[in-house]
Amino acid sequence: MTTTSPTRHRARAERPLSAEAAALATGPAAHPLHPDHTPTGQLAFGAFFQGVNSSTIWRLPASGDQVAWDSFEALVRTAERGKFAAFFLGEGLRLREHRGVPFELDVAGRPDAQTLLAALAGVTERIGLVATQNTTYNDPVDLARRLQTLDLLSGGRAGWNIVTTDNAWTGENFRRGGYLDHADRYLHAEAFVQVAGQYWRGERIAHDGAHYTVRAQGELPRSAQGSPVLFQAGASPDGQDFAARTADVIFSPHGTLEAAAHFRRSIVERTVAAGRDPAGVKILPGAEIILAATEAEAEEKVRWVRDQQVGPEQAIALLEQYWGRDLSAFDPDGPLPDVPPEVAESGVTRGAGFQFAKAEELTRTWREEATQKGQSILEFARAKAGARRGTFTGSYDTVADRLEEFARLGAIDGLNITPWLIPSGLDDIVDELIPRLQERGVYPSDYAGSTLRENLGLPAV
Amino acid sequence: MSTTTAHPSAADAAPQSVAAPSAAERPLPVLAVDLVTEPALLGGLAELARDLEQAGVGALTLSDGGLHPIHVAAHLAPLTSSIGLLPRTDAVYVEPFHLATQLMSLDHLSHGRAGWLLRAETDPEVAATVGRTVLDLAATAREAADVLETARLLWDSWAPDAVVRDVASGTYVDAARLQYVDVEAETFSVRGPAITPRSPQGLLPVLLADTDRAAAGERTAERADGRVLDLDLSSGLTIAQAAVRIREALAAVPAPGSSAEGGAVLEDPADSGAAPDAAAVRLVRLVGLDLEADPLGTVAGLTADLRSEGLIAPAPTPGQDLRTRLGLSPAPFRLDPARRSDRARLSREESA
Repeated sequence: MTTTSPTRHRARAERPLSAEAAALATGPAAHPLHPDHTPTGQLAFGAFFQGVNSSTIWRLPASGDQVAWDSFEALVRTAERGKFAAFFLGEGLRLREHRGVPFELDVAGRPDAQTLLAALAGVTERIGLVATQNTTYNDPVDLARRLQTLDLLSGGRAGWNIVTTDNAWTGENFRRGGYLDHADRYLHAEAFVQVAGQYWRGERIAHDGAHYTVRAQGELPRSAQGSPVLFQAGASPDGQDFAARTADVIFSPHGTLEAAAHFRRSIVERTVAAGRDPAGVKILPGAEIILAATEAEAEEKVRWVRDQQVGPEQAIALLEQYWGRDLSAFDPDGPLPDVPPEVAESGVTRGAGFQFAKAEELTRTWREEATQKGQSILEFARAKAGARRGTFTGSYDTVADRLEEFARLGAIDGLNITPWLIPSGLDDIVDELIPRLQERGVYPSDYAGSTLRENLGLPAV
Repeated sequence: MSTTTAHPSAADAAPQSVAAPSAAERPLPVLAVDLVTEPALLGGLAELARDLEQAGVGALTLSDGGLHPIHVAAHLAPLTSSIGLLPRTDAVYVEPFHLATQLMSLDHLSHGRAGWLLRAETDPEVAATVGRTVLDLAATAREAADVLETARLLWDSWAPDAVVRDVASGTYVDAARLQYVDVEAETFSVRGPAITPRSPQGLLPVLLADTDRAAAGERTAERADGRVLDLDLSSGLTIAQAAVRIREALAAVPAPGSSAEGGAVLEDPADSGAAPDAAAVRLVRLVGLDLEADPLGTVAGLTADLRSEGLIAPAPTPGQDLRTRLGLSPAPFRLDPARRSDRARLSREESA
């Protein structure tokens, strides 16, 4: 990919890098982070309609229906107006549960990603359509066929976010049940992706693997982009290696410039080790963006957003997830519970986004942290929720300047943005932030092409 | 198939004490055109669907020609406004949970225009694509019926008012208005609830084409919401001949509750899971059309003539769901206390 896009805005004179960015650069401007990596200086945005968890505020009058077609259509139209490269849907194959009961406090329930995206393909023209789909509880040929159908229906705009799971609890909804060992999930996923690739290339498939046997024939024509773009969120070393071998786009969150620069170096090295061109692996960290006209207003707005995202009941539930016991008697405005956890491993809350951890150690660390910071249960829970989201916040100009720096250093190739409100949550990004990024020459003024690969600057396959 | 707890059957959807309408009082069947989802169709697909809708066709069935029929149906939903959309897809070599989710999602995004034309695959090559060995006929039929029942339980696992958005208590969804499905079938099990809230129709209409009946088996036929009469136009069926076929089919339907053709007399309809009027012809499906050579002429003429002879239902109107058009009553939500998804909390509270 070249360093200038044909549709790029007139660039302003480039400012010198900040001290923070300059300190992270270890090479010349052409390769600031790694000798094998040349920054494109361009950002691509994805819009991540989460559907499930506390990132999306449901309490406000402006909070739209989370399942209605109108919500999805409105959001994807805004994203396309903002020249977003991709519209991204999540998936969880079992309703999240807390203490054995479906979790009641966050947004829950969403339509099937690919069925919805097949419909959105009909009302959009350029934006990519990315479905999160699980390798553990799908059949590779069935999934490959559905993804290729989406790719053909959309004229080469399909993407697949590859996720794995090993948990038997999710498996209770599927034929195989919990059949996969944790250690094997990436091996399984890699074999799965290979079979899918064979199907897309129209090959005869005769796969006899550790986990399944498949005989099939790829029978659909190639799409305009060859085959769907592969997304992956691997952050662990195994996950990063899997992504470096397999993925076109990585979107694990890195909110600070330092973390993003470190992650880029790690991925470039792993990509080179896997024998791939580092320019063929894009990094679009998952992110939340909270904007206002001034810094002071933005600070106030972040507090307000966190208040809306995490209420007192959710704060208690967050702690119960790790303590493994009923904490409803504790005051959300009081200190963290001084009682020990009842479980060795947190497991009472299950499903996408919930964490497992060594309970004894973690609850002690948390109590110390909250005491030190003088945080109540509610304040602590809100801070924790925000920390997970890779939040960019500030005035329109500050955030634009900051993203310009991420782009010029080559730390990221864009962001996969979760709006905190549906369906209006991208409005200020499209109306205020993107024009400023275009002025700075780091965001395209129009789509580069008609396929998702073209709009992400990925080579054709 | 059994579930770990007793659950109400689909038969409860209609009161058993009320006599179902006789054949003469039954609503007229909806006219459908079958589209085969071949990649070659892609360029003109949306225009064709809109033209067929304009011509007064009541529904499209999507038969598998390579592209996934459910996704093709979904693609057409926002590009059309009133036509019914019924993918014809396999119930056997699938994950029941995925299939049910995809179909109810189609119902959401089509605003209640979705249905399912169930078929039971018997091709060993299709079984091999998912690493399975093809089942014998009895097992195929059992599997199809089990998957149908499971899909309905999943569709019925969220109450219409489960999403409460109660700001005061911080509650988005009320677990007391969700239920597990607890299915333990011969070859699969599903816990539930669905990952998708209840769709506009609640239960999608499930229909069975006569050509698919043998493989799908009797239990599936009894549980389906109705029959599909296929008219094959590839051999030049005239309008008069089509009219005769429809009249014969409508006249041949036995009174509800009596022995269906080839079917067993039900000992106790209330416990059988049988649909109240499974033998009714609800859809007349035109197959074998050469839509490239003559995209609309044949269909528009047939539609107008059959309608003027009073043999098919009026053209659909926007806003009317597919169940209503097919003459099916609305599907009520049936909560089974034993499957309530807050049962773990209830038992904690009891023991406390």
